[in-house]
Amino acid sequence: MANEPTRPSAPDGTTAQYRSHTTPPEVGRLRQIAAFAAGAPFTALVAAVEVAVVTVALGVPLSTAPVAVGLVAFAVYAADHVADAEGDASSTPLRARIALRYGDQLMVVAAMSYGLAVALAAGAGPAALALVLVPGTVWIGYATDWIPAAGDRLEPLGDRVGPLGEVSLPRLKDVFLLNSAAVALAWAVAVVAAPLAFAGVPVDSVGTHAVGLLFAYVSVRSFVDVEVPNVRDVAADAAQGVATLPVAYGVTGTRRVLFAVDAVAAGLLAATAATGVASPPALAALGVGLAVSVTVTALADRLDGAALGVAPDCSYLVAGAVLLAL
Amino acid sequence: MTALSPLSVTLLVAVTVGLAAAILAWRERPEPGATWLAVLLAGQVWWATFLVFELEATTLPAKALWYDVQWVGVVAVPVGWLFFALAYTGYDRYVTPFSVALVSVLPAATVAVAAAGDPGNLLAADRVVRETAVGTFLDVVPGPLYYVIAGYTYLLGAVGSIPLIQLIRDDARPFRGQSAALLVGTAAPWAGSVAYISGAIPIPGLDPTPLVFGVSGVAYLLALSRFRLLTLAPAPRRRARQLVFEQLHDPVFVVGTEGLLVDLNESAAETFGVDRREAIGQPASAVVPKYDAVRELDESGDDKPRAIRVVGRDGQRPYEATIRDVVDDHDRTTARVITFHDVGAYLGQQQRLNVLNRVFRHDVRTETNLIQGYAEQLRSDPTDERALSIIEESAERMLELSERTRSAGELFDPTEESESAPLTAAVDAAVAEARAVAPDARVEVGRVAAVPVPVVLEVVLGNLCTNAVGHNEADAPWMRIDTAVADGWVEVTVADDGPGIDPAEYDVLDRGTETPLRHGSGIGLWIVKWGVDHLGGRISFDEREPSGTVVTVCVPVDRSETPVADSDGEPPDPPLGDSAQTDEAGSLGPPPNAGR
Repeated sequence: MANEPTRPSAPDGTTAQYRSHTTPPEVGRLRQIAAFAAGAPFTALVAAVEVAVVTVALGVPLSTAPVAVGLVAFAVYAADHVADAEGDASSTPLRARIALRYGDQLMVVAAMSYGLAVALAAGAGPAALALVLVPGTVWIGYATDWIPAAGDRLEPLGDRVGPLGEVSLPRLKDVFLLNSAAVALAWAVAVVAAPLAFAGVPVDSVGTHAVGLLFAYVSVRSFVDVEVPNVRDVAADAAQGVATLPVAYGVTGTRRVLFAVDAVAAGLLAATAATGVASPPALAALGVGLAVSVTVTALADRLDGAALGVAPDCSYLVAGAVLLAL
Repeated sequence: MTALSPLSVTLLVAVTVGLAAAILAWRERPEPGATWLAVLLAGQVWWATFLVFELEATTLPAKALWYDVQWVGVVAVPVGWLFFALAYTGYDRYVTPFSVALVSVLPAATVAVAAAGDPGNLLAADRVVRETAVGTFLDVVPGPLYYVIAGYTYLLGAVGSIPLIQLIRDDARPFRGQSAALLVGTAAPWAGSVAYISGAIPIPGLDPTPLVFGVSGVAYLLALSRFRLLTLAPAPRRRARQLVFEQLHDPVFVVGTEGLLVDLNESAAETFGVDRREAIGQPASAVVPKYDAVRELDESGDDKPRAIRVVGRDGQRPYEATIRDVVDDHDRTTARVITFHDVGAYLGQQQRLNVLNRVFRHDVRTETNLIQGYAEQLRSDPTDERALSIIEESAERMLELSERTRSAGELFDPTEESESAPLTAAVDAAVAEARAVAPDARVEVGRVAAVPVPVVLEVVLGNLCTNAVGHNEADAPWMRIDTAVADGWVEVTVADDGPGIDPAEYDVLDRGTETPLRHGSGIGLWIVKWGVDHLGGRISFDEREPSGTVVTVCVPVDRSETPVADSDGEPPDPPLGDSAQTDEAGSLGPPPNAGR
């Protein structure tokens, strides 16, 4: 999620890797803004849309949950991009430059957005507050080095970490499949729990089955969204010894696995529909999003780096647009 | 979602800015005060958050629960404020686990009482839900503990404000801005609290303190981002200034207006062998070396710096003393700072430059003229043996001069480690040199103690001994070396029966400078003087009856063995009889035999 091309090719045919980082070529302001927007703001937007779609699907009253989750996602990603700016210089040079240059300002904005998210949650009640405080608590733990080897905080989680995804496990990145699964689970918790917590609706009143099925659906879908960009990074990951699906099974094998996972997602969606609790337009929208996801998976090795970075997450934007249209 | 009351919205604004400021503060750790500022802001956020819950709750038990939970934030604020102010302004020595625990006793007890359901109505004598125009409040009638913790909060707040108010008057603009923002950030909630406790708020049950946390949050945010509160904290300044005073190479004494010693730095204690704890409070004249001379120098208003010789750890060294007044804000002198700057190396270099200049301009030139003249004569009469021998002697003298110049250079090479050798070896070497110059000389050596001395003394004694027998025209020149050791000093006496040294020679040495008209001959005596000065010792010349000279050299035994004052502050007794003390002798223990 939220990526730039790893090695953007320049008109002169050189790549970032072969150009000096101390005197980078002048880049247009528009490209800079685009690079920034493709980072934390894009993640925040996707998170907000995802929560909104799930809110409708669950049939709970619309609350400030999408805004709050979006703000938390922005805060977490912006802070992470500032913290890892130096390390990101080779993979996402434009975004890293912005993070280095405007680090302090970005941190003020990130802190304000997290503060606002907490304020919104406090207004929504204790459950919402507790949910939103989780990433902040984890961050304090990380920042005070209470958790050993926390230096690998976000790195092990790959590109996609949900708002609650700052689960600090040492070298999680090295654990095959678990790396993507942890991110997907954290993401699903935030997306499914937030609408309920913010609206003050108990799980029972919606239906435990429907909530569980939606939770499972978001989890497997998020897993696909995490693994698809790995197709792009297969060479780098293999070189670093990071185990991902494309590294283990190749692009074709990965595609098959992801199709299978998408099939499971489709089954979960059908089961959710069968419960009769979820709103049909929302399920339809999610179905369209799933179709987009399958298409992206099919085209995984043909899309260039930039597109592959954002394409999986665009499925939620498409789903949101469909929902609005319906 | 039900609509929030305007009060809740105000509180949530305070939560937003407060939490943002807390995150930014936490991120600045380990900058001084960062953690405590984060604690203070987190306390405010906690308080405001649970007040929102209290306001939005509909039943008395629910309101009472959230009211009790707020106490965690309420008591965290003053503790955070106090330790933030101390750490931020550099009083971090008061921020210790013990002091934190001590200060936190009452707040922790308050939270415990609240958590236990307020047994005995200590915090709240009565609680009722009151409907007002701006919302439903829990109207609390304060219990005794409430007033105690409120007073305690004001106390901590006031104590923490003192160092910050001092900063407002600081010269540095960033610190003025920071402290102003901090005081605004703190004063706003206090004003609210005072208004609540004094009953100035017309709405019963409404404590406006958390409502103005928005103002303080903005102030802290401004201080953090605009005035770089934690990245540019004044905390290191106190320590840095202290460090400069302590680590300054020059000895420094601080003397109060009544002439009593107020402070001294480590260098002063070490150099002059003073016990710091005992010295402070003593009359300056008893501790500060040459105090009267220093004061006279200052009062005379003589701009030209003059060196004062003081005996300290490194023997006797020349110091340039400067006195500065310590002036308070009302231009009143509260103390005087006396700094001793060791100018020995500088003076030595100046002298060597001066003397080598003279050697080159005068001595070498004279010999060259001599050689030129006699060479002319040889041209006209190649058989003139006398001219030949004069040329040879002159060349010999120039060679010797060159050798001595080189040894003088090597002697004071600052990169050389100072080594030590037994005194017996130094005396033996000097005697051997003398015998090489005058094989027929009668050399007597008295008892020589086997104490370690710096090797430089070997060069000094070698020069003295060769001078003693070399400049003696007698067939069998006589010379005697005696040594004595006492109280860390070595005294070596070299006596001869030669023609004696021209008083003009050692007058020049005493003055320390040569002029074109008044200068010494050669460089031997200068090497002796520089060597002795370098060792922190002294040298004296006396005439001997019926003829000859007695030269007495007195140097500290070894660098590692420090001649220090006795515990009563008195100088050690001169070990030897001839110890006519001149005004040059230091108050910390004069070398024996101060001589002329």
